[in-house]
Amino acid sequence: MLANDGVDLALMPGEIHALLGENGAGKSTLMNVLTGLYQPDAGSIAIDGQVRRIDGPAAAARAGIGMVHQHFRLVPAQTVAENVHLGWSETPWRASARVLEARTASLAARFGLAVAPAARVADLSAGEQQRVEILRVLARGARILILDEPTAVLAPAEVATLFAALRGFRGRGNAVVLISHKLGEVLEIADRITVMRAGRSVATCAAAGASRSSLARLIVGDTAPPPPAKPGAGAPDDAPVLLELRDVGARDRRGITLLDGVSLRVRAGEILGIAGVAGNGQRALSEVLTGCLRPDRGQVLLEGTVVARPDPRTFAEAGIGHIPEDRLRTALAPDLSVAENAVLREYARPPIARGFGLDPRAAGAVARRIVEAAGLDVRDPRVPVRNLSGGNQQRLVAARERRIASRVLVAAYPTRGLDVGAVATLHAAMHRLAAEGCGVVLISEELDELLEHADRIAVLFAGRIAGLLPAAGADPERLGLLMSGQ
Amino acid sequence: MTWTIQRIPEISGPSRIAAYLTAGGAAVAVAGLILRLLGLHPLELGGVVLRDSLGSRYGIEDLLLLAAPLVTCGLSVAVMLRVGLWNIGADGQFFVGAACAAGVGLYGPAWPVLPMLLLMAAAALAGGAAWIAVPALARLTLGTSEIITTLLLNFVARLGVDYLATGPWRDQRSSVTAQSPRVPVPIPRLPHDWHLGRVHWGVFAVLALAVLLALAFRLTHWGYELRICGANRHAAAYAGMKVRRRLGEAMLLSGAIAGLGGMLELAGTVHRLESGLSNGYGYVGIVIAVLAAASPIGCVVTGLLMALVLSAGTALQADGVPSSAAMALTGLILLFAAVGERLAHYRLAVLRPRASGAAG
Amino acid sequence: MSMLSSLLGNAVLSGAVLALAGQGELLAERVGVLNLGVEGLLALGGVTAIATVAAGHDPLLGLLAAVGVGAAVGCLFAAATVLARASQVLCGIALTTGGLGLAATLGRPYAGQPAAATFQPIDIPLLDRLPVLGPALFHQSAPVYVAFLVLPLALQLLLFHTRHGLVLRAIGENPAACDAAGIPVVALRFAYVALGAAIAAAAGADLTLAFVPSWSDGVTAGRGWIAVALVIFAGYRPWRIAVGAFLFGLVNALGYLAQARDWGVAPAFLSMLPYLATILFMVLPALSARSRPATTAPAALGLPYYRDQR
Repeated sequence: MLANDGVDLALMPGEIHALLGENGAGKSTLMNVLTGLYQPDAGSIAIDGQVRRIDGPAAAARAGIGMVHQHFRLVPAQTVAENVHLGWSETPWRASARVLEARTASLAARFGLAVAPAARVADLSAGEQQRVEILRVLARGARILILDEPTAVLAPAEVATLFAALRGFRGRGNAVVLISHKLGEVLEIADRITVMRAGRSVATCAAAGASRSSLARLIVGDTAPPPPAKPGAGAPDDAPVLLELRDVGARDRRGITLLDGVSLRVRAGEILGIAGVAGNGQRALSEVLTGCLRPDRGQVLLEGTVVARPDPRTFAEAGIGHIPEDRLRTALAPDLSVAENAVLREYARPPIARGFGLDPRAAGAVARRIVEAAGLDVRDPRVPVRNLSGGNQQRLVAARERRIASRVLVAAYPTRGLDVGAVATLHAAMHRLAAEGCGVVLISEELDELLEHADRIAVLFAGRIAGLLPAAGADPERLGLLMSGQ
Repeated sequence: MTWTIQRIPEISGPSRIAAYLTAGGAAVAVAGLILRLLGLHPLELGGVVLRDSLGSRYGIEDLLLLAAPLVTCGLSVAVMLRVGLWNIGADGQFFVGAACAAGVGLYGPAWPVLPMLLLMAAAALAGGAAWIAVPALARLTLGTSEIITTLLLNFVARLGVDYLATGPWRDQRSSVTAQSPRVPVPIPRLPHDWHLGRVHWGVFAVLALAVLLALAFRLTHWGYELRICGANRHAAAYAGMKVRRRLGEAMLLSGAIAGLGGMLELAGTVHRLESGLSNGYGYVGIVIAVLAAASPIGCVVTGLLMALVLSAGTALQADGVPSSAAMALTGLILLFAAVGERLAHYRLAVLRPRASGAAG
Repeated sequence: MSMLSSLLGNAVLSGAVLALAGQGELLAERVGVLNLGVEGLLALGGVTAIATVAAGHDPLLGLLAAVGVGAAVGCLFAAATVLARASQVLCGIALTTGGLGLAATLGRPYAGQPAAATFQPIDIPLLDRLPVLGPALFHQSAPVYVAFLVLPLALQLLLFHTRHGLVLRAIGENPAACDAAGIPVVALRFAYVALGAAIAAAAGADLTLAFVPSWSDGVTAGRGWIAVALVIFAGYRPWRIAVGAFLFGLVNALGYLAQARDWGVAPAFLSMLPYLATILFMVLPALSARSRPATTAPAALGLPYYRDQR
């Protein structure tokens, strides 16, 4: 498979260089080449004019290239100090906790990154973990810092801290490569911008002369932009309430608050958007809405009736579909076949169920229908789901959940991992559901997506609804402020 | 053109079976090589083993009688494998089942044979289930590894049977100090004109059990739920299944089946409670279930194959190879099977010259 | 010797086997590989040691031979689990079954005979004169001192006070992060699984040359499994393994004492004690450990590592 095809990228000292592109445009592959995880088949990498062979992460570090991945490469069970010193040639031979923590404190002071050396990484927020990653890379003497989607998990205030640190790093004559697909932040921080499409670098320009629309055109290219989903009329205020939360609170097993006094109404025929930085209670909210998590406070109402003991079976039978955020972990059994996964929601209902029995032929028929609806090209429904691509797994889940969602569909980040066409199809399906009188709850961290498709947007911050406003005419800046808890 | 090795995340049933068969064959070949190095003639020995076990009615009877407890233990392990748990304690449950059946047979009511056998079977099922109850409880409430707890109880069960057979239940009229009196309720043997005179109906009970389990796994919700619970507990909970209850049921059923195996062996073949009742059958059951990929019908096939391997061990004793060598071979087969299953995920593939890397 | 002194002495003697085997298992588990073949390694080590001293009459030679065999078998196990990435549970059970079977086969000529040479007790000067504790703790053979003093100290220093130990612990927690940091994950896993197996086999030599001291079929009696349980009980810490091994040894020793003094309990029930105690020890910490995440298993324990899945 070809992921990068003749990419040119020139990086100057003292610049922040943004790399823009769709999912699958080849950004991550390019970075994996730069950090030595993949070897290029053709072409070369030159640093300070000298061609270097980078045949592994260690060689990349020697060459002064440091990478901060989107998914942190940290050891959660270990301390900040241990993580900073892991796999570093300058770690002293005698590395007791005290030695490492003292060294980490002085490194943190030198690079101006506030971290707690003795804290366990698992106990840190996403922003703090990112600082540990950056400190680790800088400590190894990186002069080229590559960050992959660094702001995806950050609250706006944390983004400001990060950008300040990056500007400081640039000020010392170093270079930063920032991979992103958020046009606004790229325009804010970058000096120059390279746009990638289909594995090629299509353009490099100065950020000063670029605009959102010029960049967007470069990213999408000649392909026609996906037809804008037809916004539904939205739900009138007197549309029946299908699903309601009243003052719901939930805690995890360690007693940490996940949701705190959430009240929410999902009306027939509307798409209710849930905005917020990841980790502010989205997972718990989607689980409470679908019966997977029993709130320890407040009430859940299905069409006006309080559900005494919510459980996923009751909700599914009441017509609540659920596309969870972590599909491979939660919604699918990866080792089992497509057919077995397809009937996960309907095996206990007729026509598949017959008393205690299960009719394999009926199950096969239902599975075939779901596979067709998902638009999957699966010749043999006995292939394990693990062998499907991430996008196809997501399509399978979406098709399965649409089938049972006769009242409400709760979809958490449903477009993750999908290509542009599939995203458009999914959005169209949501609007169709809403037009048929269903309620749709769309949880997303992409404000653009919510503004385009939702009728109302609720902002989730620290387990609370920080605000609820109609999407039409909503001000993105206002939403951003709500998302950061202001 | 470039050749590369590709890994396939998940493989199909047939290629897994092919891998297991290859692995089993390789293990037997290695064992043969070792015998050759020891100065024996493995091919001739193999011929002798096959002739002894399959070439005579007597041999086939022996094979079936040996396969019955092995397949039962295999089924027991397979039920728990279905939900992704390991029952390493089938041996202990087998002993407890046998002890319960012996207790009922020796000291229970004096009913006719058939109700008596049913009562013994019920006692054995209950005993086997009870023996796994503590590991099940610890696993489901505290997450304690069922592997170690079930295994440790094997030693306790064997010691308990030892105690009964040498102590309170010892046969006072016999000079043998380590067995109970003859349990007076034998499982009837097959009709004479079937020419398998020493084989008892328990063999068919095992076969029926395998078929019943296969149907339950394939054609009920319960079987589907077990499969999902075994493949991904989170997905099972998401779909509204009662995961813990299903796991508990599978564990208790697994113990009960192993217990039943003990009863069948006691009432069908050995007729006395003694600590030699199981010759590591529970451990062989793991091999059987794994090679069968937890399919009940598959267990019948692999159980017969393993019975052949074990009877080969017995046959080789005449040539000075200790019977424990069969246990060593069992381990080798399991090791090869585990590695073979992994290696079956790799395919040699041709790549076009230019392409490489992965998607960004 | 007083009753208390002989009780403690027996506890240390029988605990040493578990302590050694536990430290070996600890090394494998810390780099993320669950080795359930300890029982088989004990048997193989034990029979190797017996056979070696039968020829060479030197217990140290027997121990070294056991270590060599353990390392070789450990390499085989590591090849299966680390290189081929086969199921660790299955390979462990295979190693146990195969090891027990092979040891029984090879050990037949030596079964039931006393070991041709055994480890003799070494007195620690001054300390051996202590009342009660002296004869119990400081009149022991060399492997006992290694099991309770040298090895825990060495492993504690290695794991928690050196750069290398930091890497080892991280491999068991997050091999992908280590790989990304340029650490040779597969090579280190392989090496430490083999080293751990060598130590477990040494425990077998201690069993047949110091504790029992003879070879018979089934002499390992589940000690390998108890050692695996001990590592969990000890929260994956070298020092706590030593302490836990002493506790387990104490249960054993109580059984012997009861048998010797004839406290009126059937021997079969006394022999059950170690197994029942082990189950109890496994359950008890779990009841209280919910608030102590620091003693949980390495996060990547039991999972094969594939580079393309990170």
